Amino acid sequence: MDGDRRKILRFIGKGSVLAAFLAQIGAAGRAFFPNVLYEPPSRFKLKKPDDYPDGYTLDEAHRLYVIKQKDAFHVISAICTHLGCNVQWRDTEFDCPCHGSRFRPDGTVIGGPAPRPLDWFATTVSPDGYLEVDSAKDVARDFQLVIGGNGKA
Amino acid sequence: MGAKFKALWRKTSWAWSPESDRESSEAIVKNFWLHWFPAKVARASMDWNYSFWLGTASASLLMILTVTGLMLMFFYVPSTERAYGSIKDLQYAVSFGRILRNQHRWAAEGMVAVVYIHMARVFFTGAYRGTRAINWVAGVVLFLVTLFLSFTGYLLPWDQLAFWAITVGTSIAKQAPFVGPTIQFLLLGGHEIGQQTLLRFYVLHVFFLPVLVWILFAYHMWRVRKDGGLAAVEGIRNARVMVPKATPKTKSYSLFGLTPGTSVAVMSSTGLEESDQVFSSPNMSRRIALVFLVVFNITLLAAILFNAPLEGLANPSVTPNPAKAPWYFVWLQELVASTTVRFGGYTVSGALLGGILLPGFLLAVLTAWPWLDRSPIRAQGRWLAPERKRQNMTFAIATLAIIILIMVGVYLRGPYWRIYWPGQPRPETPRLY
Repeated sequence: MDGDRRKILRFIGKGSVLAAFLAQIGAAGRAFFPNVLYEPPSRFKLKKPDDYPDGYTLDEAHRLYVIKQKDAFHVISAICTHLGCNVQWRDTEFDCPCHGSRFRPDGTVIGGPAPRPLDWFATTVSPDGYLEVDSAKDVARDFQLVIGGNGKA
Repeated sequence: MGAKFKALWRKTSWAWSPESDRESSEAIVKNFWLHWFPAKVARASMDWNYSFWLGTASASLLMILTVTGLMLMFFYVPSTERAYGSIKDLQYAVSFGRILRNQHRWAAEGMVAVVYIHMARVFFTGAYRGTRAINWVAGVVLFLVTLFLSFTGYLLPWDQLAFWAITVGTSIAKQAPFVGPTIQFLLLGGHEIGQQTLLRFYVLHVFFLPVLVWILFAYHMWRVRKDGGLAAVEGIRNARVMVPKATPKTKSYSLFGLTPGTSVAVMSSTGLEESDQVFSSPNMSRRIALVFLVVFNITLLAAILFNAPLEGLANPSVTPNPAKAPWYFVWLQELVASTTVRFGGYTVSGALLGGILLPGFLLAVLTAWPWLDRSPIRAQGRWLAPERKRQNMTFAIATLAIIILIMVGVYLRGPYWRIYWPGQPRPETPRLY
């Protein structure tokens, strides 16, 4: 039928224009999700193991604590698991200045609003002898990097 | 003497002056600047003690903020390297730049307060019934956008307050169920705070949110007119219906000729009468100008006397101790800090409970209140009507709770967000940021 054909053609015509309009809105929205990020890599080098004193050392640039106990190393994130402020080591515990979260020396929660313990980052020694941290890898809470006489053990 | 002088003034300075009420009305309706006023406005609507002109004060602050904001845009550079420096320049190198920024800041904080008090006025006078419910919702949205404008505004100087507010603010957004991480990624323009983040908040602050406020403001005004003015006039309207006036004897035509008696039509007058109303110009326009000038002068005085806060340059390595939000967000900071609940092995973070669910619930109740309200309709348009006692108490207690949380956050919280009572010594914390 002639009328039906017109209806279908009209539907296709209007529909395609409208679809293109909506698709462009979607495309414009997609532009706000960046494809390339100019952010530092999650894997980075710190200082050499010998450069750290015993105890808790803050690395301000990477927002983490390097903890050295004789030959054993581990790295705890200084970013509060509640809302992302920097926690501070106060000799016996970590405290957060934004909302009052408190953590034990191993990063587990004592009190305050933090929902989970501070991250422990995977730590290795790079071939050229620096501590290397992967902040994308959260490791078990008993992780220790023990450095013996010839590199690591 | 006075009348003669007035007549002379008219004759010499006016080519035309309205001769009748109709012409007076048209002088308002046909004028570009005045046409968005009604020709006439009820005296009751203009009572200083009914509305305190808080809506007009809010609109005045919006006007001040728009103009000072546009001025600031000539000096501010939305780049992480230069933003802080451009604010310092405004403070120390630009003539009167400090006044400009101060007035923008104090008007912004004033607007948050005045818009809330305006909302409280509307609540305590029960002025959101019937068709006005829609305008109540528009008002709630306006309040919300005002808060977002404030938030995006204090991020722009790129000082410590800005950096840690973005950190905490977007971390709260991340806690939203399902879409949280996507929203955070979208707001930051990446996984970390950087140039993209500043630019996004900048465009939101100087274009999208102000345009949204102005559109909503226009709608808010349009609704006030379409809903028949302020709710204060409803009492008068009802009184006109309830109390029929003594009607003069008339003659009316019946099928069988003249009939003495009263006609039926005069028994039901529903609208406002001549004596209830005055021409909106100059009666209202003059008061609006007065309110604007008073608000402008208060913000200007504040700008001259007090400097807008500016902390050290944004530093991701050091969080200020304690890191406090501006006063109007401190109650939220208290909520996220104290609502983490643990039962068994499960933990619900305060970021979700106190940062999203609880404020979301408050907002939902606030928005839906006109439909939850079961008070008699006659209680509308009056201050603290006894019929609405329970409702008003609810609002007052909620407001008081928020004020107490703000007080605790502002005055009692010290380093590491611990409570320190007045007089109790606070530990020294390094302030090298």
